[in-house]
Amino acid sequence: MLGRKKKMPKKYIVIGIIVILVIIIVILSFILKKERKLNPVEAFLKDGFLTVEKYVTYPFSFIKKKINNYSDLKNTLKDNDILETSIERIDSIETENVELRRQLEALKDELNIDYTLTDYEYLNATVISRNVGYWYNTLTIDKGTYSGIKKDMVVINSKGLVGRVIRTTTFTSDIRLITTSDTNNKISVHISNGDSSLYGLMNNYNYNGNYLEVEGISNTKNVNVGDRVYTSGLGGIFPSGILIGEVTEITTDSYDLAKIIKVVPSVDFNDINYVSVLKRKSEDNVN
Amino acid sequence: MLISIIYLVISLFLEVIMSNFFSSTLSDASLFTTIYTIIGLVIIYPHFSNLKKYFLLTIFFGSLFGILYGCGFVFGLIIFLLIGLMIRFLYNVFPENVFMTNLISYISIFLYHLLSFVFLSVFSSISYSFMTLINILLGSIIMTIVYTSISYYIFLVIFNKKIIK
Repeated sequence: MLGRKKKMPKKYIVIGIIVILVIIIVILSFILKKERKLNPVEAFLKDGFLTVEKYVTYPFSFIKKKINNYSDLKNTLKDNDILETSIERIDSIETENVELRRQLEALKDELNIDYTLTDYEYLNATVISRNVGYWYNTLTIDKGTYSGIKKDMVVINSKGLVGRVIRTTTFTSDIRLITTSDTNNKISVHISNGDSSLYGLMNNYNYNGNYLEVEGISNTKNVNVGDRVYTSGLGGIFPSGILIGEVTEITTDSYDLAKIIKVVPSVDFNDINYVSVLKRKSEDNVN
Repeated sequence: MLISIIYLVISLFLEVIMSNFFSSTLSDASLFTTIYTIIGLVIIYPHFSNLKKYFLLTIFFGSLFGILYGCGFVFGLIIFLLIGLMIRFLYNVFPENVFMTNLISYISIFLYHLLSFVFLSVFSSISYSFMTLINILLGSIIMTIVYTSISYYIFLVIFNKKIIK
């Protein structure tokens, strides 16, 4: 009898498996429910590894940059023609710009508005990792809390809105792209339609059709294909006036009461190398 | 053991290097995407006779993957541990050759995406479409086969059937 292992009854094995599954479900529901902050050990490991990775991947990034530069060079002649026509208009635009800035300041004083897009500092950062885990739809940039980046700061590039910061470590930050259907974070938008402005809510991203859906606009309002969609500034996270994309299709909901607007983002999310994080100029005074 | 660790670290670096060339987002899945670290775990398994060491490596690299590219070490650990158990089961069922290793790699990648899809859809605030899962599974085929085959032959040469005690 000695040395002979007693076999565990099947029912205990089943109970054991059920208990383990329940524990896993409880843990997952806790850690995935909201964007949790990394603990100091996790943050330290991430900083260390991604710093090493930045240097390891440098030659590959360099090669990619050179390839991109070469393809840009091929379009130089065409770009040059466009730029020459634009140069002729620069003087008049500059004069208009000065006047608009003066008017904006006057209106801000009058309406008691605290912040506009011009009150933000642009903190430039390089993308070091792109959505490796795939399901998180994130980019990792090489600036973190050390550079003053905080959770929920807005990230843009030259083409428009990219996303918002969801997680930071000392030297890196994760950005969640706006092409994520996050039910907890809907973006308030306004559609610029000539003289009038319409307000709506960016509801979700359609993965099959590759477009953003804007809802909450009355069917009586007029929206045209080609109208530009900007952030409205309502909601507190995204400042107003950041370009999101262009209207490509307009449909109505099942009750024929409101419009559903399909918007194609202005940013190519697979080709983002550099981004700017918007940091309030007087952030330190605010907090 | 040291070679396996180096190989897993290289695989972990490859995730970022390749993501720069074949960028893949939820809205636009690349045809050349895969999870190199998981393939690494599949490749090193036959060279371990000590399962405890193998699962320690699985836990460590799963946690690291979760911290670096996921949403924390716990989620990475759970997913990689389940995948590790699946790899063990599959190697007990299938014979070890390049074709079967490719098959096990793809099943493991499939499991990673399926578990992530299910867990994140159920527990997080992000909603996903089933077509996204199909797209990413189709997009994973080519690179999984390429990396598994290359790694399989490299390991065959390096180890020459040597088994880690």
